[in-house]
Amino acid sequence: MSEVAQTPLPYRDTKPAGAPDFYFAINATFRFILKRFGREGLRRYWTELGREYFAPVSAAWQQHGLKGVAAYWDAFFKAEPGADVQVTQAADRVVLDVKTCPAIAHLRKGKREIVSCFCEHCYFLGEATAAPAGFTVRVEGGNGSCRQTFYPVASAPAPQDLSRIKEATAC
Amino acid sequence: MLGCYDFCGHYEWTFEWLRRQGGEPLVRAFWDEAIHKDSQQHATELIVREGIEGMKKYWGHTLVDEGAGFHTTATDKLFRIDMHDCPSKGFLLRNHLEQYRDYCDHCMGWIGPLLKRAGYVIDHQHDHRGHCWWEMRRADDPTPPSAIGAASGEHDVRLRPDWKPVDTYQRATDPDDKA
Repeated sequence: MSEVAQTPLPYRDTKPAGAPDFYFAINATFRFILKRFGREGLRRYWTELGREYFAPVSAAWQQHGLKGVAAYWDAFFKAEPGADVQVTQAADRVVLDVKTCPAIAHLRKGKREIVSCFCEHCYFLGEATAAPAGFTVRVEGGNGSCRQTFYPVASAPAPQDLSRIKEATAC
Repeated sequence: MLGCYDFCGHYEWTFEWLRRQGGEPLVRAFWDEAIHKDSQQHATELIVREGIEGMKKYWGHTLVDEGAGFHTTATDKLFRIDMHDCPSKGFLLRNHLEQYRDYCDHCMGWIGPLLKRAGYVIDHQHDHRGHCWWEMRRADDPTPPSAIGAASGEHDVRLRPDWKPVDTYQRATDPDDKA
């Protein structure tokens, strides 16, 4: 078994999957920062979180390339309760086909008011994690299902159009 | 995507990010506004409405979901938690994550204001190693904290050979009310 297969997640827990009520806290954190610092402040939070907290993920992607990107997301979504996501690795990209976003699904089940720009975090966090490893991400869709594609920077398409990311709603 | 599997890691990182933006008052505001009043609104509604019965329902469910090693004791006047393996602090210790100066303060940071709103006060100690105990009583009940073993018997975390409390709270509802 390769090193990538053994340790695709940088931080490990003793239980196989997370507690979904923590999605309530993630949504509440975004709302708090949005209220205090505005949309740009929230984007800065996501970017700094990606660069700092997820630095071990960037390092693994830099070391293992697209194989590492795919291994990470496959392990990641296996540990997120309620996720229905297909991870596909091609020669020049890794595609996450998010059929059911576990966070949006649980927030709706809990009848929570979802921060409207919730889905933008996947772009800003993903980009901040990918960039140090030489990758970039494009996100399309949102509000419960989306497609996220990770490319090597050298073969990246046009920059992310944020209007392609849907606003999240409670239903 | 930000996930729930490693939530405690990015939650703890966020405390320090907030402290860098607005100092400790912003961290306290986060625990009260974002966690107590927003994220944990289901706990607030349950405990404010049902008191100790609500605490039994809330912590009975959530600590099991989080994979905690714990024991609860309830009477009509007391709700006590003995935490032998905090899933949250344990995750941080196992993964060597420490950005914020005192992660354990976050529990009093959101539970304290919640219990105050419900009319309760808290006696509490934690050791920064994943062990703690909590006793919640009505604010008009002057009973002091229980003697070791008196409320929860052999489950009392204070009986652990490695128990060395770092922070102590007496009839508190504020994270900065350390004795």
